[in-house]
Amino acid sequence: MSSMQPMMNFTPTFGLNSQSMAPTKKTYDLTREFEEQAMPLMPLLLAMARRIPLNEEDAQDLVQETYIKAFKSWKQFEQGTNLRAWMLKIMYNTNLNNAEKRKRDKSRGSIDELEDWQVGNAQSLTAMASRSAELEAMDNMPPKVIREAIDELPENQRNVLLNVVVLGLPYKDVAELLGIPQGTVMSSLNRAKAKLKKKLESYALQEGYDITDGAGE
Amino acid sequence: MPFKKAMTSPMGQGSSMPEIDCQETKRHVHEFLHNELTTDEMQEITNHLANCDSCEADYDFEVVFNQVIVNACDEAPPQELADRILGKIRQIQTGNHGNFDI
Repeated sequence: MSSMQPMMNFTPTFGLNSQSMAPTKKTYDLTREFEEQAMPLMPLLLAMARRIPLNEEDAQDLVQETYIKAFKSWKQFEQGTNLRAWMLKIMYNTNLNNAEKRKRDKSRGSIDELEDWQVGNAQSLTAMASRSAELEAMDNMPPKVIREAIDELPENQRNVLLNVVVLGLPYKDVAELLGIPQGTVMSSLNRAKAKLKKKLESYALQEGYDITDGAGE
Repeated sequence: MPFKKAMTSPMGQGSSMPEIDCQETKRHVHEFLHNELTTDEMQEITNHLANCDSCEADYDFEVVFNQVIVNACDEAPPQELADRILGKIRQIQTGNHGNFDI
């Protein structure tokens, strides 16, 4: 989809044609290139794998498998295009395949019940909270609570939220990666943020933050 | 997505120039924060925010909210995982006898 040309030509010469204008990439160059470009993304990919959500062991295995596949396909990566999106695509596809395998191996767990709080009972968003209290509550929110709330989002919304907010991918790339229209990326992001906010507001209220003074619009 | 322009001025502002209103400004908060708007649209929103405490507070909240989400997902990976991946890569490389299968 990108109009960018690959910056490198991987035509091998194997030393037979030393006059060739095409740069020769030996394995160690490619390996170094892969390591330099792809390895810094590992924490982000693991964060995404954990939020699929997978348990820690499966998440790490998935990331490792993703890196092995990415390394083997490294020559197909077009330099100048979005490496995060490319790696993520490999990870999502790998996870889908693994999920199919797991499904065959054992019965499904409670994963199908995750969308319950879509119709949650939290405070109405229109009852705007006191903003300073709201900010304070948000700032003090335990990371675990936030991660759990993210994990409970419907899959599409969760993926959009993580891809846009955590990975910082452009809407266009997220749309392509998830196979959805760009308008759906926007609406899913809105919904994901609204649900997450509602869920976290509900938690903040339980914890005693006074965020519902109705002072807003 | 083009802005819907209203003839109303932002809250607390005396200008009679047609500008985007609060509703429109709030509607575009995510696109603004994720750089999905054109330079002109960004500028229009910036102008509105400069004169509207309500919208500015909303935008500030979303910035904090985004950062909180990013921080919550930023769990350090074990060093052992990076070592494991690098080990596997080098194993594959060795198996390729010095050249990629291109």
